[in-house]
Amino acid sequence: MLFIILSILSGVTCVLSRVINFALSEKTGSYQSTFFNFLTGLLGSIVLFIVSNETFHFFDVSAYSGSWWIYTGGLVGVVGVTLQIVLSGKISSFYLTLFLFVGQLFAGMIIDYIVVHSISIYQLVGGTLVLIGLSYNLWIDKREA
Amino acid sequence: MNYFLSLLTGALISFMVYLNGTLSSATGNYASSVIIHFVGLLGIIVVMFFTKSKLNNLKGIPFYLYCGGFVGILTVLFNNVGYTHLGASLTLALSLFGQSVSSIIIDHFGLFGLPVIRFNHKKTVGLLIISIGIFLMTLS
Repeated sequence: MLFIILSILSGVTCVLSRVINFALSEKTGSYQSTFFNFLTGLLGSIVLFIVSNETFHFFDVSAYSGSWWIYTGGLVGVVGVTLQIVLSGKISSFYLTLFLFVGQLFAGMIIDYIVVHSISIYQLVGGTLVLIGLSYNLWIDKREA
Repeated sequence: MNYFLSLLTGALISFMVYLNGTLSSATGNYASSVIIHFVGLLGIIVVMFFTKSKLNNLKGIPFYLYCGGFVGILTVLFNNVGYTHLGASLTLALSLFGQSVSSIIIDHFGLFGLPVIRFNHKKTVGLLIISIGIFLMTLS
């Protein structure tokens, strides 16, 4: 249950940071606001890291035994943000948001399938319902706008 | 083409959650957050170089506008914890649910100086369908 709440909260903090970064981008431009997002994110992470008791782990060679590509998450994030910035000027926010939903949920299911080598019917049906619910509300927004 | 790119962008977000979650299992939550933000910072510097973006007009910008990145740390940490314990699809579904609800609340009250958009009760149907979907996903 704790992990369910934390995952929902990740959506709340995601929207909060997006609102703040959007306000910053109105003054500086989208790429600059992304730059500051990562800069303050890095500074804050360093502070958290220092006060955490993980510091010893950082200098432990065995922590780096993983494949090189697991370190590329930040880069993938930047590519994602950049694509969103470029696309938001080219297609309506309705279709952009809709396809972002579809892409996220289906890729999530594919990742789960690859990692645990199986996918349950509950996950497929549940994921599709989540998509239907999100799309329905998005459509209401579009119709009322 | 743009629709396909939007789809791909969504998939990239999921792929990022997978990568970051895997990294945090290897190096720990906070160390992974430092690495993720450092690599991301290098990435955006490269993007700014190619788009010829400059850092300017920074005078008079209130400090809290720079705090998006601090809040973003929480997103990274929560996603990593979620991915490790719930897997990718459920974490993403829950996150999208959280995004929907918080957007509705911000719009309804016009928080952060955004225009007030009152809650449309028809959206309860959508939120209900999402909740049923999430409940089904937790059964697997």
